[in-house]
This record gives sequence, C-alpha cells and structure tokens, in this order.
Amino acid sequence: MLNTGRKHLVHVVKYRWWWMALTTILLVPGIIAMIYSSVTYQNHAPMKVGIDYTGGTILQYGIENKVTNTDLAQTRANLEEKGIENPYLQILNVNNDQQKNTKSEIQSIISVRTKFIDKDSNDEETITSIMSEQYNNPELMSVSSVGPTMGKELFKNSLIALTLAFLGIVAYLSFRFRFDYALAAILGVLHDVIFVCGVFSILGLVYNVQIDGLFITAILTVIGFSVHDTIVVFDRIRENLRYYSKKMSFGDIVDASVNQTLTRSINTSLTTLITLLALYLWGGVTTRDFVLAMIIGIIIGTYSSIFFCSMLVDFWNDKKNTPKQIAA
Amino acid sequence: MKNKIIMFWVIAAIVIASIAVIILKPTKLGLDLVGGSRLVLEAQTTDQVKEITPETMSHLQFAIEQRVNKLGVAETIVQQVGDKRLLVEIPAVTDLKEAKAFIGETAQLEFKKPGKVEKGIVTWEPTGLTGKDLSKSQLTTDSSGQWVVSLEFNAEGAKKFAELTEALVDQQMAIFFDGELQSAPVIREPIYGGNAQISGGDSGFAYDEAQRMVDLLNAGALPVPAEIVEENTVGPTLGADSIAASKKAGIIGLAAVMIFMIVFYHVPGLIADIALIIYSLILFALFKTIPVTLTLAGIAGFILSIGMAVDANILIFERTKEELRAGRNLFTAINSGFDRAFTSIFDSNMTTIITCVILYLLGTSVVKGFALTLALGVMVSMFSAITVTRNFMHLIFGTGELKHPGLFGLKKEEIGASYQAAETQREKARFGILD
Repeated sequence: MLNTGRKHLVHVVKYRWWWMALTTILLVPGIIAMIYSSVTYQNHAPMKVGIDYTGGTILQYGIENKVTNTDLAQTRANLEEKGIENPYLQILNVNNDQQKNTKSEIQSIISVRTKFIDKDSNDEETITSIMSEQYNNPELMSVSSVGPTMGKELFKNSLIALTLAFLGIVAYLSFRFRFDYALAAILGVLHDVIFVCGVFSILGLVYNVQIDGLFITAILTVIGFSVHDTIVVFDRIRENLRYYSKKMSFGDIVDASVNQTLTRSINTSLTTLITLLALYLWGGVTTRDFVLAMIIGIIIGTYSSIFFCSMLVDFWNDKKNTPKQIAA
Repeated sequence: MKNKIIMFWVIAAIVIASIAVIILKPTKLGLDLVGGSRLVLEAQTTDQVKEITPETMSHLQFAIEQRVNKLGVAETIVQQVGDKRLLVEIPAVTDLKEAKAFIGETAQLEFKKPGKVEKGIVTWEPTGLTGKDLSKSQLTTDSSGQWVVSLEFNAEGAKKFAELTEALVDQQMAIFFDGELQSAPVIREPIYGGNAQISGGDSGFAYDEAQRMVDLLNAGALPVPAEIVEENTVGPTLGADSIAASKKAGIIGLAAVMIFMIVFYHVPGLIADIALIIYSLILFALFKTIPVTLTLAGIAGFILSIGMAVDANILIFERTKEELRAGRNLFTAINSGFDRAFTSIFDSNMTTIITCVILYLLGTSVVKGFALTLALGVMVSMFSAITVTRNFMHLIFGTGELKHPGLFGLKKEEIGASYQAAETQREKARFGILD
C-alpha cells in the first residue's frame, strides 16, 4: 500500500466541494472589485494604474547643495505624507548650460515625477512648499507633462506574448502529461493571477494602491512559480499512476501524491517567501508593492497547486469514468 | 568513484573561471538601478513641416525608439514631454557620444535629378522618391570588392524608381543622404525590379560608415529633425535610497534561506547551500559575459530562478529521505532520489524555458529582461542541482549504510518503517537495488 509514512495531512478528494467553495470565496471579492473599478474609474482599468501607464507631470527643482540618498528618502517620505502619491524621485547632475540659466549656483537637480497636475489642482504649490521646507531656496526650473512608459501598445504586446506563452505551456504539458493536466495547470495559473489582480484592485479601492510598470514583472514571476509548483505535484501523480493504478483508485493516488509532495511544496514556498519577506520589511520603498504582489502570488500559487489543480484533475477523471445515469 | 573526483575538479575549474570573469568584467546595470543619461530632444520645424502636430510627435517617438533599439541598448525609455519634446533615458553603460550622434541623425534619403546649370554647377531637384519608399537596406560588396549599401524599394518606390530611371536615361541621378551628395551615377538604361545601390563615390565607403547608413535607413528617417536641447546624467529611476535598502534586505533574505536549509536538511542542506553559491557565481559570470543589462525585472527573474534552484535541491533531498526511510543504503538512496526527482525537475524547468523563449521573442523590454535572466538561471540551476549537489553528496557520504540518520535529519526508528517504492526491473538495475 502506498503511504507517506504518516497520516494524510490534507484531503483533496474527500473535501473536494469544500476546496471548490474556498476557491470561489477567494476569487469572488477580487473579481467584483475589478468589475466595479472598470465601471467607475475614468480610464476603465480593473486596477488603479500609476503614471507608468497614464503619464504624468515632471517638476524639476534646482538645489544649492549636493543632494544625498538620505535627503531623497526624506523628501519621498515628506511628499507621501502630504498626499502626493507614489512620486518618482531622481537626482540629476548639473551641467554648465543649466548653471547659466538659473539665478543661484545650483549643485543638484531633483526631478519629481507624479500624476498629471491640472490647472485646478494645487499639487504644484504643495510640492514646492515641501521642497522649500527641506532645502534652501529650491528653484522650480521646469514643469512639463510626460507620456506613459508603459503605453497601451506595449501593454497589448505583453499580453499577446503571455497568451502565446500559455499555449506553449499547454502544448508541452499535453505532450509530457495529458491535455487535462495541462488545462488544470493553466486554470491554476489564471486562478493565481486573478487572485493577485483582485487583491490589488481591492487595495486600490481601499488604500489607493496603484500598480506600476513592475506589476507585470510580478505577475510573470507568479505565473512561473505557479506552473513550476503544479508540475511537481503532477509528476508525482504520474509516477504513482505507473506503479499503483491497478491497486488504488485515481482519487487515492491524487491524495497520496499531494501528501507526498506536501513537505517539498511548503519548504520551497517558504524559502522563496523568506527572501521576499526580507525585501518587503527592509527593502526599498519603491519596490514594496512589487514584492507584495509576489508574496501574495506565491502563497496563492502554493494553495492552488496543492488543492485547486489536483482537485480539478481528479474531478474531471471522476466525471469521465462515471457511467451516465439512465433516466428513470 | 574516480569519475566523481574528476567531476569535482571540473566543477572547481568552472568556479575559478567564473570568479575570474566576475572580477574582471564590469556589471551592466539598467536605468532603474544605476541611472544613466537623460537627453531631451526637441522637434524642429522645417520648410516642409511648418507645424509640429501630435501625429508628427508620435512618428518621431517611434523612429527614435527604433534607433535606440538598433543600438542594442536594453531598457531605454523614450517618452513624450510637453508638446514637442522627447525625453530619452539611456543606461550609464552606453557610449553616450555614439548614442547621441546616432539619435540625432535625421537620416533623410533623397533621390534627385539634374536641374538648371548655373555657372557650370548643376543644381539638383527633388524627384519625390525618398527613404520612405524603401522596404529595406543591406550592406553588400560590389564586383570590385567595395562596400555598397543596397536598397530594396517597396511596390510604390519600385514604380517611382522605374519611371525616374526611364526619364533619366543617359543623364545623372544623384543620391543624397542627410543633405550630403553620396553618389551621382549616370543612368545607362531604365531599372525595373525595385533594387538600387549606393556606392560611396570615388573614394568608396569605409565599413563603419556604410554599416551606420544601413542601420539608419532600416530604422527609418525622422519625420522632422530633432535637436538635443538638454543633457544630464540621472540617478536610478527607482531611487538610490531604495536600492541601497533592497541590497541589504536581499542579502539578509538569502542568508536566512541558507540557514533554513541547514536547519531543515542538516548536512545535505549545507551541500545545497554550497551548490547555491556555486550556482550564483556561474550565473553571475554568465550575465557579465553575454552581457545582460540587469534591471529590477531581470533581478526578479534571478530571484525566481534561485527559488527554483533551491526547489530542485529540496525535491532531491525529500526523495532521498524517502528512499532512506525505505531502508536503502546510501549510494542507492542518493541515486534513486536523484533519478526520481529528475523528471519533475526536468518537466517544470522545460516549461519555464519554453515560456521564457516565447516571452523573449515576443515581449517588450521589461518582459525580455525577465525572460532572459530566468531562462539562463533555470539552465544553470539544472546543472548545479544535478551535477554539483549529486557529486558532493556522493563524495561526502560515500557508498556504505547510513550510520548516522541524524545527518539527513532522520530518526533511527523511521528507517525501514515506511514507503515501499515499487520499481520495475530496469529501474532496479539502474539504481543498483538487489533483492
């Protein structure tokens, strides 16, 4: 008899309906938030998008002293405190031409990129007053609008590439496993992506969290992790089927395989989470949301490969093998 | 055992070579991590184009993007600023002078016909055939071995060119590039088929000169001239303060992972940690050799590949532990542990590589950077898990019975207590199991 040396910790097959219900509970709030956002936001995006997608305004300030990284971190904190969300701050050096054009001798230029500042808004005054508090006579050198770095074309292009990558995964897994495994793996990926997007949609509505250009990278990472994790479980099912398919039911094999790979699934996720948690707690402010998206994605990816994908494979197998009921 | 020792020295040689590369070669980091140069280009009106419309600007932006891509610079940003300016950010690693010259060229190709003769000098008149009518351009040599730029017209261009050469038989036709006369051949007979060549006049083209012309022609002409009005070096887009913090955090995170592996897997965990260090050295050396411009997206790919490399080790150890619990001797347990773990490592990594290849071929810059580092990472991780970890396990544990289960984090009473793996005869022979 096939066992793992201990009692089964998780029961994928027995509590099938519970897992389906839990999956629904996990996904529905996010989906509702995304639909709500698409309807209510002006740009009809399912999430609150940042200046990488929309473009914004660049303000450049000339500063008399050399600006250090610590100064910049302080400026960022001050701006956020006064309600200037997600500013992109950069230090520019000063060239000779620019020095001639300014009133005083400046040593550095701080470039502040933020969302579009229109005529009615007093964000420009707010930013200038914050700069004046921290630096000596900052000089506002230029204000100009700037286009998106992640424009519609680029975004569409990325989506097409991603769709084709999914087809590639399905083709490979159908070849190495079976089509239904491939389909379950892809549904698992979609499950994870929808969940992460849903969480960020909710965070956008509640805490005004915006997604930036890095969000796409985070989603790619989640997809990579999710497929990888699922395949390890499927590989164990495939192996056990080879040896035990005559002695055990498909459901029992799925359950045993999930339990055999459980330690590995959890340990692998833990090692990745340890690094990400360190980055979240002590890493840079500008990448915090990016890391958060990956953390959420890896947790949900571990859940989906243990409970969702294996449950689907077993569920489909059951349906296929149950003889059709004769109508009474 | 002998080939294990040879393998050990091979691994040692690779590690030394990697360290040498890491010390000698510079790291290429992207705009988001180290910053670079920021150029502001301003569109200029000309006699033909009297007004800069938003449409002209998007054409200009597209043309500049095309050119920047031709430079082979990863992760460059081209944005519209205001009504008639473009902001171009180029990573610090690029030769700025070359980049500026390349971006600034208008690259107008014009075919002209002879007009009035004034004081013995021919004035050239526009014919309406320009670089817009090209489909592509190539660098080739002519019969005398000189570098020439060969041109292929699109359908409309071919028609115009045929009509033009018909009209100009036994006369000169001039080819201008950015207002400079390149050559003025005499047309002997009409040319049909839509192909032409530019030779560099009497002195001929230098290779570099011809190649640059080809690149510019293929990238397309700028709709209007653009002048560089501002030039600065800039700090990283992600903020230097944030990056410094993330570096520290990343090191803390990796150290914690290593401790976790030792606590959970004991001696094999330590071996995995060493394999992980070797893995990072090889991969980093590879990044520098290719070279890969590392951006945050690329580093995300790198972190994911570390996760997958750790996973390969965890898979192997878990399987080896299962085999040990079933009472196998060390040599067999390690071998069958690897073999059984290998199919899942192979399939999951192949899927990742396939995904990366597709993303790399079709994706845009952010996606490309991610796909490249992840694919490289996964390939190196297969090598490190299968070669390095396996080799070290055999060298350290040898072939005997497992005398100290604690080394693997197992308890004595667990051995032989559970999990009877079933093998086919062929597998038994391969793993060295004797009934």
